[in-house]
Amino acid sequence: MLSAERFSLPGPEYLAQRHVLTYMEDAVSQLLENREDISQYGIARFFTEYFNSVRQGTHILFREFSFVQATPHNRTSYLRTFWRCFRTVGKNGDLLTAKDYHCLLQLLCPDFPMELTQKAARIVLMDDAMDCLMSFSDFLFAFQIQFYYSEFLESVAAIYQDLLDGKNPNTVIVPTSSSGQHRSRQASSECSPLDGVEASLFYQCLETLLDRSKYSCPPSALVKEVLSSVQRLTFYGFLMALAKHHGINRAVGALPDKGDLLLDPPMDQELEKLVAQVSGLSISTPASSSGEPANLPSRNSPRKPLHHRRKVDTESDISTEETDSSEN
Amino acid sequence: MKMAAAACEKRRPAPNPAAGPVRTGAGAEAPGRALEGAAEFLRQAGVTAMVREALLKVLEARPEEPVAFLADYFEKLVLSSPEAADGGGDPRGQPQRLARALWYVRLAHHSHRTAFNNNISMAYECLGASGRRKKPGVNGRIYSELLRRICQDSEAPQEVTSPLLQRIQCRDHEAVPFDVFRYGVLTCFVLLEFVAKADTLYDVLDDGSGVADKRVCQAVLGTLEEALGASDFSVPIRYLEAGSKLGPDCLAVAMDRALLERKLSTSMKREEFLKKAAVLFIAKVKPVD
Repeated sequence: MLSAERFSLPGPEYLAQRHVLTYMEDAVSQLLENREDISQYGIARFFTEYFNSVRQGTHILFREFSFVQATPHNRTSYLRTFWRCFRTVGKNGDLLTAKDYHCLLQLLCPDFPMELTQKAARIVLMDDAMDCLMSFSDFLFAFQIQFYYSEFLESVAAIYQDLLDGKNPNTVIVPTSSSGQHRSRQASSECSPLDGVEASLFYQCLETLLDRSKYSCPPSALVKEVLSSVQRLTFYGFLMALAKHHGINRAVGALPDKGDLLLDPPMDQELEKLVAQVSGLSISTPASSSGEPANLPSRNSPRKPLHHRRKVDTESDISTEETDSSEN
Repeated sequence: MKMAAAACEKRRPAPNPAAGPVRTGAGAEAPGRALEGAAEFLRQAGVTAMVREALLKVLEARPEEPVAFLADYFEKLVLSSPEAADGGGDPRGQPQRLARALWYVRLAHHSHRTAFNNNISMAYECLGASGRRKKPGVNGRIYSELLRRICQDSEAPQEVTSPLLQRIQCRDHEAVPFDVFRYGVLTCFVLLEFVAKADTLYDVLDDGSGVADKRVCQAVLGTLEEALGASDFSVPIRYLEAGSKLGPDCLAVAMDRALLERKLSTSMKREEFLKKAAVLFIAKVKPVD
């Protein structure tokens, strides 16, 4: 889509648009951090490995949050890494609280802010009962929207609030993070699920935002589709619809379709091999092996889910929709 | 481009503060001095120059995926570094030099003429330099090999490209001057693009069925030939003439006529179509002596 345009951009704009300088600067500062080792290793080789890891998306592992969220590519890399590392949580059907998910997020990015996790949880729980348990896939898809489209959602919250207040925000003001956060809180506490705003008006306001925003936004056709299927909707209703939309998931490009979220045969084999190695005692895998979670000893994150025992009786009514898709 | 380079230059010595604990050394050091030290280190170690060169290459080529481009770029630098390339004279050196030259000539699309020409001269130098001996220059053998590899790595079938190669190859022991070298490489790339376009043209003609009607194909090829047949392309107006002959109306009329007089419908295979189209192109290529 940008294929031809990139040739007509001025150099600095091209570099900024593709975040070339972000990575180059980061590479150089990484190099400075490791300058003692560089002399024997070679500078060109260092850069090669750096850019290869950026290409593969492993560069965000254990990095500081400011870097992890710095580019869309970093965000998708983080989402994909999170999914791949903790897929087993979903596979085992464990339900976790926002706090638990936050611990998992922090295993990959130590200073990941709690605020973002909470916002994602609000989407799943429709801003209700924040200590509830959530299924892995519900949380993951909500988290994806919240994390990937963070800035967009801030602006949406402001627009929504203005509409609720009866103002028609013709001028889109991109709020700072603090004001956005404040507004979204307000929005949530005031509206009951029955009211909200009129969808068509909401879309008109979002349209200008979608056109102008310099941050990543969901494709406007899909936003339109979401909003044209209802008369009125609430802020969280809107976010939930975005989170569940397959097209938007594909547009972000970090995660597979919901049905395939828990499938990854090569990874399963790897894991099985590892488990077999670690445990030493040969587990009876060969015959009835790969797909079934039941056969595998619990081997999810080092953090054992805290609510394992409560899982059975809470499963049905807590998760907002389906909780496990392991059979497909 | 200069502006961009200057901007990077200005920013580079001060690494992104968000990138965590950058400063090594003792905490007692004043931040200003630490930064100066870092800048000094980067200059002395050659990082500054390397980064500048890399960014210039990115700006020249404007790749769709700059990160992948940079990864490949630095990898090539590793491979061509003194330890790797200086190794043992010819047997190991030549394939590497060839690979590097190939990489150079592909860095920028040929429509970016300045960048493309730059890269070609880099490739020429790289092929001409042979280890520690004095520069032997580029001979016909390695030149032809390079062209062969360019064509080989593309989608185009061999029977389409080999007539071109025959036309622009040099004899094995001939010295190849830079002009000829550039002409040959450029012609290869243009032909490959031409063939790719012809391939999509065939997609249109066969309408998804896999086989296209022979008469329609011939009508299209005929129109193409007529347009190219306008001969002397040193006169700019010829380009306009050729362009208008290939305009939608002319082409549509020809195709329509072909369809009308269709009797027994036979088909033309994709390979045949490509080959015939390529022949038209190659006929226009000036042979290298």
